[in-house]
Amino acid sequence: MATTADEVWVRVVGRGTFQNSQPLRRFTLDRMQHGYRRFTVDVGDCTGMDSTFLGVLAGVGLRLRQDGRTDARVRLVRVGQRNLELLQTLGLDRLLVVVQETPDEPAGGLQWEWLPDSDIESLSKPLDKDETTDLMLSAHDNLIQADQRNAPRFQTVTKFLRDSLERRRNQPSSQ
Amino acid sequence: MRDFHIEREQRGAIYLLRLAGAVDMYSYARLDEQVRQLFSQNHHRIILDCQNLDYIGSAGLGSLVGLAKEARVHGGDVRLLRVPERIYKIIELLGFTKVLQVFHDETEALNSFAS
Repeated sequence: MATTADEVWVRVVGRGTFQNSQPLRRFTLDRMQHGYRRFTVDVGDCTGMDSTFLGVLAGVGLRLRQDGRTDARVRLVRVGQRNLELLQTLGLDRLLVVVQETPDEPAGGLQWEWLPDSDIESLSKPLDKDETTDLMLSAHDNLIQADQRNAPRFQTVTKFLRDSLERRRNQPSSQ
Repeated sequence: MRDFHIEREQRGAIYLLRLAGAVDMYSYARLDEQVRQLFSQNHHRIILDCQNLDYIGSAGLGSLVGLAKEARVHGGDVRLLRVPERIYKIIELLGFTKVLQVFHDETEALNSFAS
């Protein structure tokens, strides 16, 4: 990722999956809390995105839309044909700005840094059950909120995740 | 990733569907349709052999839960066989193994319907 004075840049290399969606969610939330409202996500080197990863991006788009600021946007750039079809299938092309071309980088270039724990081949700790369930649930809720046509596709899984999270939270502590 | 395809075998009252490739947000509908077609012919005992499965996404997992519940209403089930470890870890982490029975051995899976 890289940050300029008014824009956050994210480059996705390899697969964007539920396994590296949590660091992306934390990072984008943190940037939004710091006032950033413009995000560019370069998916030119992204070999695939699962629904959780797309749901996290949709979440950023939904939050920015709630703000109602005209300069706010999530822009996906260097979008290949397969990823474009995926975005269209989920209706995210109407929430996010989708660009197939390579954008101009800001004057002075970008200082890229790796987002910690985003490399799924070398995660520093195992995924936490509740955290992962919560992440997947909110990501899929975002997809449904972004486009109601996603409801039939994901409503069984969101119900299952919501119920199991609820059950675990209501379980008495073993301590 | 390989294209998704399904091979179907009948073993007595049980249908064995061998899955290969990726069950993603496009292909899950084909799996759902195949199983529902069997339901419509009154076959509710289904085993999904996942040995050659590369990936299963949320839509596919949701579909399996729905199908298993529906099969149980009719005295059957949808059970999983030879789930690759990387996929098993995910479905176990998310709690799907509590509602979907998973077997490592084909005979064991087939016999599970007898009990």
